[in-house]
Amino acid sequence: MQDSSPHSFVSIPLSSLASLSRRTFLQRSAAGIGLAALHSLVGESRGALPNHTPRAKRVIYLFQSGAPSQMDLFDYKPRLQKFRAQELPDSIRMGQRITTMTSGQKSFPVAPSIFKFAQHGNSGAWLSELLPHTAEIVDDLAFIKTMHTEAINHDPAITFFQTGSQIAGRPSIGSWMAYGLGSENRDLPAYVVLTSKGTGRRDDQPLYDRLWGSGFLPTQHQGVKFRNAGDPVLYLSNPPGVDRETTREMLDDVNALNRIQHEAVGDPEIAARIAQYEMAFRMQASVPELTDISKEPQPILDLYGPEVRTPGTYAATCLLARRLAERGVRFIQLFHMGWDHHANLPKALRGQCRDTDQPTAGLIADLKQRGLLEDTLVVWGGEFGRTVYTQGTLTPENYGRDHHPRCFTIWMAGAGVRGGVSLGETDDYCYNIVRDPVHVHDLHATILHLMGVDHLKLTYKFQGRWFRLTDVAGNIITPIIA
Amino acid sequence: MKNEAEIRRPKVEGRRKSEDRNPKLESNGFSAFGFRPSFGLRVSAFGLVLVTSIASASPINFNRDIRPILSDRCFACHGPEPAKRQAGLRLDLEEGVHGPLPKHPDLRAFVPGKPAQSRAYQRITSANPDEQMPPAKSNLKLNDAEKALFKRWIEEGAKWQPHWAFVKPERPALPEIRNPRSEIRNPIDNFIAVRLAEEQLSPSPEADKATLLRRVSLDLTGIPPTPAEVDAFLADKSTDAYERAVDRLLASPRYGEQMALRWLDYARYADSHGYQADWERFMWRWRDWVVGAFNANLPFDQFTIEQLAGDLLPNPTVGQRIATGFNRNHRINTEGGIIAEEWRVETVVDRVDTTSAVWLGLTMGCARCHDHKYDPFTQKEYYRLAAFFNNVDETGIGDEKLGNVRPVLKLPAPEQQKRLDELAAQIKEAEAKYNEAAKAKADPKKDKAAQKAKQELDKLQAEHRLLDMRTSTMVMEELPQPRDTFLLIRGQYDKRGEKVDAGLPAALPPMPAGAPTNRLGLAQWIVDPANPLTARVLANRLWEKFFGAGLVKTTENLGSQAEWPSHPELLDWLATELVRLKWDLKAFQKMIVMSATYRQSSCDRLVAADVRRRASAVGQADSLLTSAATSLYEIDPENRLLARAPRLRLPAETVRDQALAVSGLLVEKLGGPSVKPYMPAGLWDEVNVYGNLRVYVADKGEGLYRRTLYTFYKRTAAPPDSLMFDVPGREICAVKRSRTNTPLQALALLNEITYVEAARALAERMLAEGGATPAERINFAFRRAAGRVPNEAEAKLLRAGFERQLERFRKNGDAATKLLSVGEMKRNEKLDVAELAAATMTARVILNLDETVTRQ
Repeated sequence: MQDSSPHSFVSIPLSSLASLSRRTFLQRSAAGIGLAALHSLVGESRGALPNHTPRAKRVIYLFQSGAPSQMDLFDYKPRLQKFRAQELPDSIRMGQRITTMTSGQKSFPVAPSIFKFAQHGNSGAWLSELLPHTAEIVDDLAFIKTMHTEAINHDPAITFFQTGSQIAGRPSIGSWMAYGLGSENRDLPAYVVLTSKGTGRRDDQPLYDRLWGSGFLPTQHQGVKFRNAGDPVLYLSNPPGVDRETTREMLDDVNALNRIQHEAVGDPEIAARIAQYEMAFRMQASVPELTDISKEPQPILDLYGPEVRTPGTYAATCLLARRLAERGVRFIQLFHMGWDHHANLPKALRGQCRDTDQPTAGLIADLKQRGLLEDTLVVWGGEFGRTVYTQGTLTPENYGRDHHPRCFTIWMAGAGVRGGVSLGETDDYCYNIVRDPVHVHDLHATILHLMGVDHLKLTYKFQGRWFRLTDVAGNIITPIIA
Repeated sequence: MKNEAEIRRPKVEGRRKSEDRNPKLESNGFSAFGFRPSFGLRVSAFGLVLVTSIASASPINFNRDIRPILSDRCFACHGPEPAKRQAGLRLDLEEGVHGPLPKHPDLRAFVPGKPAQSRAYQRITSANPDEQMPPAKSNLKLNDAEKALFKRWIEEGAKWQPHWAFVKPERPALPEIRNPRSEIRNPIDNFIAVRLAEEQLSPSPEADKATLLRRVSLDLTGIPPTPAEVDAFLADKSTDAYERAVDRLLASPRYGEQMALRWLDYARYADSHGYQADWERFMWRWRDWVVGAFNANLPFDQFTIEQLAGDLLPNPTVGQRIATGFNRNHRINTEGGIIAEEWRVETVVDRVDTTSAVWLGLTMGCARCHDHKYDPFTQKEYYRLAAFFNNVDETGIGDEKLGNVRPVLKLPAPEQQKRLDELAAQIKEAEAKYNEAAKAKADPKKDKAAQKAKQELDKLQAEHRLLDMRTSTMVMEELPQPRDTFLLIRGQYDKRGEKVDAGLPAALPPMPAGAPTNRLGLAQWIVDPANPLTARVLANRLWEKFFGAGLVKTTENLGSQAEWPSHPELLDWLATELVRLKWDLKAFQKMIVMSATYRQSSCDRLVAADVRRRASAVGQADSLLTSAATSLYEIDPENRLLARAPRLRLPAETVRDQALAVSGLLVEKLGGPSVKPYMPAGLWDEVNVYGNLRVYVADKGEGLYRRTLYTFYKRTAAPPDSLMFDVPGREICAVKRSRTNTPLQALALLNEITYVEAARALAERMLAEGGATPAERINFAFRRAAGRVPNEAEAKLLRAGFERQLERFRKNGDAATKLLSVGEMKRNEKLDVAELAAATMTARVILNLDETVTRQ
């Protein structure tokens, strides 16, 4: 009975099972604890997941919130230098809508990146000088230079990336994964969210519950945000004056009384409640164990850089991400804030890259040396890109960039991904896509595909309609698949 | 089962349809964070058996048996939406089902009595992959049972019916029951009993009185009965004791607070704007209007009209104008760089979607970008509805970030008005002073005196603005000249198509005679008895409130994709009863809770005899007998047949309110600005440094102990325990809540300050008022939480636990003091520390019991 389904995250101690009657046992089956038994009972398949052999067992999504500038980091545009300070040609802009932060500007002067680019690795990938550590791992990365999205403001755009819709109320990608594939760990949630604030821009774009919410899926699939201060999981600690042994005794009493009630009433929900209290108790041990990095050897810590010991930094969350991945958490999502550089971009971008470059590369290297990169998919990217024209004044050292949804760069690495490739081409102004556009729905379809899920088949009926993460679109990005 | 009920027709339709026949993954039950979803996801073995048994005995009913399959599997390509329609075939209309095929006029989709000549049936059953419908690439499938249903339907005449929910409900005759197996207290019981008898099941006996009083108190008021109330009820042997208890509960102001809980979900009510920066707003006056309206038992039609169009009533009262805040509770975007018109359109769209979901149970939002795929609503009709909501004098964004956005109604109390007047006068003075100081100065910005005067002026203006804001509420108001409304191509704000007028979808009845073509007319149409949806939607949701699931489980959607009702005639009877009662919500709910159906026990019982009898009667005995279907909870886990009462985990708000109530901490006070109870530090700030809602500071004193209805709700960082216990995000309208059971809930009940403090407060009462012995004190606490005395085994366990903890705290006084220090409320110093700490642990056990957080 225990773990009869590989996806089942419910475990009831055998001691409590023994005291439950056969009748209860069967009820629990009908109520979903033993789905295998249920399937044989009703004699019908429910379209079991995964749909095909997964390449990845888990995802680490390194979300760079605020929108990193693609032409200052990845999408090298040497020819831009000669257009410097010239007006962005109408033939390029083609009257497309822009935000009201710059739509009032009298001119749209082109601001080439002031950062130097060089080629790295066997693949010869172009990278900005701001990413020296990423340069070391480029042969593991597949760059997509032609991501595009539909929204031009942060809230709808990040909501779109997280849920496949700009409209609030849809489940987040991690919730879909949790719903579809469940967890491989009995003691931790299937979807964990970690957040960090960037040094590039302290007052950067906020995050919202909705981004890891479960939308119309049952709420237990929502992401659990681990906190950087206090209890990592809300209400994890016992009250003062109550130690673990006392809690154990108390829970024994709670469970015993619940079992008496269960015998009297027969509702399988009570058995589930007992199981949840047991899981809560296990989490009180598993979460502190997870977040305790004191046993990490120095060479490992060094991979992630000097800030790894400071809770709440991107480096610290990257290390936690690896520890979560090791423990089989299905969808691990980091949100690093601070990438929204409307003004003073060069300075702010330096800060952001200082935060993230080494920890990101360290995470990849660490996963790789442990063999975890083989079945862990890593995704790096923001919610849109930034404009080639400056927002505000252009000087030799300084410029800002507004939101740009028409092209930007993300990268993927790990399970099932072809390292050392670069997909797509943008025009000389890094404004429009010339070749191989990749839409947000395509990215979602690809992530699901690598996780063994056909994006057309992972559906949930709500308000009479079968919903998908990819809505009515989505093509798998085959060129980047190994 | 000795008294076999004799049933006379009219026959009640009904057979359970398996929700499991769709190959798509509606709900795999593979849970993510734990576990087993506790609603709607269970599979009834019973349902499946019924598909193969009863169905072969009763005639096919198009709406019950065929339409749901057509809608779910065929309409996507052969339905209302022309853009996706294949071969010109529309299976949502009778002419498409029966008439000549557009591409092959010599053929018909379905020919009554003739499966072999029914082209659609031939395609459905074709073995040729190129022929087969639905095509493989659609990921849609029909199973053999469904194909067989089509065959029988054709053989029986292929009768077509319009979608049931779009036809005005007719009041059905009461099914008559001779020799009932259970008490029939009112018509609800007739409908339920007949259906149970068809399944050879009998209802459960009435719950014991203590359970019943706790159930009805929690359902109607959200607060459990006190032991004194239980005692009085147990002692009252009169026949109307229960009815008087119900009347008392309905008259309590707590009733309005409890009714408001879900209405706030529907109305996407919150104390902040939502979106990126999520500034504060002040809409609690609208929330208080709702509570007051429920308590005053404002008839639902009036309740509706005032919220949708109170401003358009002749000489509207202040209350009627406040009520219109319903459609101002939507989010408002204040992000930099946004295009105002884009967000104004989102606001109007939100109103259409919310209004149609709340009152009509329709998914109108599907028709924003294209004609509806399942229901007969065109995109143009969507924008005709939008035209009703498009005339508000608003920009669509929050220009001033903080606070209410025009149109607003200003409602300062007399002392606030006085302060506003004072400030206005002071501002005038300060302005004069500044002008004086600034005059003749080359650069006032560099002049000290001018700067000081300027600072003073700014301070006064800021205070005036904030007070002005806090004393207002957002309302609906029409522009003198209505805005032009356009069909928006693909729903995009800047892609205007043809201009449209306000109007109603053709598939629904027209405006009532004399109704104006504006929001008021729309509201009148919604509550007009001719409207086929409103009364059904409301009856279905009120049913869900008391029974855990609607008669139509999809309470959010009564359109073509709705689930077929478990008791269709009861639903129509209830809908017509609502109208007959003139939308009297208290009377309607009283009828529900007075029914024998509601008053049943929720305990499991063995029903093998029932099932065997029925199964053998239809020749299906073998498979069923070996499936060990022995208990009600197993054969009908979702309790759709209502052979028992449901056991339901309490709503989030009630879980907390009950802990406060039983511990004596609850501060009952109706209405007012939202309050800030305990919340872990930093939750607002760790992901947001925008807006004014930063650095959450919990209230001191009574704000910590008010009912959860009044808890401050920031949309992008909602109160965490509300989210854990399934309160929806309040960003958009939500008419349905999950009911989950997770380890995070366990952690909250174990360790959140509110519950630890409540346990201590309950422990203090145990020691101070609960009697002299531990046994008496345990009884006292258990009764307060569970509404009953613990049995011997329970009492023994609790007693042993108490003694164990007492011994521990006697040895470790420091631990005791620490435990007792949790929460703002000062500890009663007169009580022995170790004893109080041990009693606190006992109270924690009791507050964490499944029974405590469940209404049985």
